[in-house]
Amino acid sequence: MAENRELQVFLFLSEILGRNIVGATGETLGRVYDLTAEFVEPYPIVTGIILSSAQKKSPLFLPWNDVLDMDLSISVSVESIAELSPLHLKEGELLLKDALLDKQIVDTYGAKIRRVNDLQFLKARQRLHLVHVDVGFRGLIRRVGLIKLLDVILQGLFDYKLTNNFISWKFTQPLNSPDLLQLNIAQSRLSQIHPADLADILEELDIKQRAAVFQALDVETAAEALEETDPKVQVSLIKDLNSEKASDIIEEMSLSEAADLLADLPKAKAEGILNEMEKDIADDVKELLSHPEREAGGMMTTSYLSFSPSTTVKEALEKFRLEAADVDLVYYVYVINEDERLLGVISLRDLILATEDQKLEDIMDDRVISVKLDDKDDTIAEQFAKYAVTAIPVVDEDEKMQGTIIFKNLLEIVAPELGK
Amino acid sequence: MWQAGLLKAGLFFALIGPGIITSNVDNDAGGITTYSLAGAHYGLSLIWILIPVTVALVIIQEICARMGVVSGKGLSDLIRERFGAKITFYLMIILLLANLGNTLCEFAGIAASMEIFGVSKYVSVPAGAFFVWWLVVKGNYKSVEKAFLLACLFYLSYIISGFLVNPKWSSIAVASITPSLSFDSGMLTMAIGIIGTTIAPWMQFYLQSSIVDKGLTAESYKYARMDVVFGSITVNVVAFFIIMLCAVTLFQNGLKIETAKDAALALAPLAGSYASLLFAFGLLNASLFAASILPLSTAYTVCEAFGWESSLDRKFIEAPQFYGLYSLMIILGAGIILLPDVPLIKIMFYSQVINGILLPFILIFMLLLINDKRIMGDYVNGRLMNMVSWTTVIILIGLSVAMVISAFF
Repeated sequence: MAENRELQVFLFLSEILGRNIVGATGETLGRVYDLTAEFVEPYPIVTGIILSSAQKKSPLFLPWNDVLDMDLSISVSVESIAELSPLHLKEGELLLKDALLDKQIVDTYGAKIRRVNDLQFLKARQRLHLVHVDVGFRGLIRRVGLIKLLDVILQGLFDYKLTNNFISWKFTQPLNSPDLLQLNIAQSRLSQIHPADLADILEELDIKQRAAVFQALDVETAAEALEETDPKVQVSLIKDLNSEKASDIIEEMSLSEAADLLADLPKAKAEGILNEMEKDIADDVKELLSHPEREAGGMMTTSYLSFSPSTTVKEALEKFRLEAADVDLVYYVYVINEDERLLGVISLRDLILATEDQKLEDIMDDRVISVKLDDKDDTIAEQFAKYAVTAIPVVDEDEKMQGTIIFKNLLEIVAPELGK
Repeated sequence: MWQAGLLKAGLFFALIGPGIITSNVDNDAGGITTYSLAGAHYGLSLIWILIPVTVALVIIQEICARMGVVSGKGLSDLIRERFGAKITFYLMIILLLANLGNTLCEFAGIAASMEIFGVSKYVSVPAGAFFVWWLVVKGNYKSVEKAFLLACLFYLSYIISGFLVNPKWSSIAVASITPSLSFDSGMLTMAIGIIGTTIAPWMQFYLQSSIVDKGLTAESYKYARMDVVFGSITVNVVAFFIIMLCAVTLFQNGLKIETAKDAALALAPLAGSYASLLFAFGLLNASLFAASILPLSTAYTVCEAFGWESSLDRKFIEAPQFYGLYSLMIILGAGIILLPDVPLIKIMFYSQVINGILLPFILIFMLLLINDKRIMGDYVNGRLMNMVSWTTVIILIGLSVAMVISAFF
């Protein structure tokens, strides 16, 4: 029997809950109601038992250090429940059943929302480490208490055994408790998910969880995820933030995305955010906001690189290296004269392949295609289709360059109508 | 002043939908059958029951709406988180069975109503199943909701039929406020049937998740409440007209009917062919409408409880359980109707019994949840509301238990 116990190194939370707790005198003190754990890296450690007893109504706390042995019942060194104190959670400590069991988590590896059917611990030197989260059907059936029956049926009929579906604790992000979200910010597990997947997850969550998760993200991840999110969800997420935090996130977004988002917000909120934003970004966004969304002016971004005709390739590339990280469009650079008139365009490839001392006016393509500020989406789409470019510059009536439309931004406007 | 009023009206119409749709889906094939039978067999004597039913419906649905708005979670979600895996598992199995029975009734309704128009069930049922599948898979939430709100309008056909027969309004008014119930077991069963078909377990799940889907927040709660109240009243107005129509025509002429189709056919010589066709059209609309919602609602509810991927935006392979359940409901629902010699009346009866077994549990869970401060915060039931809702729930439970017991003896 003793060897058998040694072998049982993995334990489920559902197996521990409800077990009898036997005191030093052999008297039953109560049952396991919940476990507390300290959320340390990489795996949380169980720190105590919440005990429910027939004699006392309020839950009592039993430190894990007092646990001597775990068998069918749990033996502890405490003699009577009078020695125990009521529960006081320490910083970084949480109730496992309460916060995790049956609740939702994000599987950061598979980028999905899952429901916790069980938790699995590794038992090492009398300590329990939370290592796996059970999200599988097998776990569900085990909780229901029908696993033996199911195994017999599946084995007998199909010679099949339903496998476990575990996620390592390292790849999970609990959603239920704001405390848990806070705990995990440092590790920023959510930021490892691709922004588009993260946006899907945000859309699937209910309003409260959505806001909590979003607010737990770092500014950069939040901005990336926000760009990929449905406009309606964007608005609800930003509305919940104060203007300062909102402006930090919106500053990280591309200009045209930021303008679209601000246009969807209530006026007062949008103005509040604009006031908090850095002035030059705010000015650019305001410029974009003054144009209708479906016109070239509303789709374009003003974040691109332009040079005078006499600039050398060397100078241009230096500036490119310096600024490209913060620029929306990097595949083309534009050549403009001192009146900001558009003279030509150079693709990134041509720029890199050119020799360093060449002047931009010598390598630029002066047959540049452009659209007017008030051109409509269908006209612009035709231009994209005809010339097979990835961005089209926008000019005003005096041929002055105002911005450039990236294909992706046109697609966002047009895509909802495709296939209709 | 005037503008503010207009703005408020606009807000109301932007936020309504879930309550009205849920309530009207509730007047499904089973509901219309029950109301027709009640009118045809017992005349106007049971019509008063619609007033307490309306009150009960408002109370129950208001709880759902409030839970949806405050917690932002569906009912099966809340039940799973609060009551654990075991209870949820069995609850979902029973719900699945009950809803399968209900779906079957809807397809039976499609078959019956189309037969009045001379279309064989071997054509109408597969066509109906395909329509249901197409609407949900190809549509998005907005367009589906609009289609459903439009379908709600077609319930007017019952009200028009009601006026076509020129009833004596004074005696109807008296009957609707005079409670009368004899202890004849048939009449009692009928009364319970009316209540059971109006307050069904699946609606609570559907209403709450559509409110969550709509993204209503605590600030817009009063609109959600108006929506629920308005919906609960319209559903009973429609029920009122069906009972009345059958009472003043079929009952007064002593015609006995077994199904809603009998009712529609029997109406033709008594109330004119327009009333009869409108009645049949109403049945078709109601059945199609409910058949579109039930399988979907079931799939969502079950997947939500078990944490399976559930979204129409996913591919089949990404959400196999969701699509599997959804398809299973439609295939079984439509398929069983097409079997020759299927004992329809028996199936309908047992599906009502399963609903009756399920309802008490759901109602108790709902009351426990609505009083849970950790979920509802300041929006828990007040003392008065608790008294009213517990009383309502206890009466409903008593009736459900009575129905289940009477089914076995």
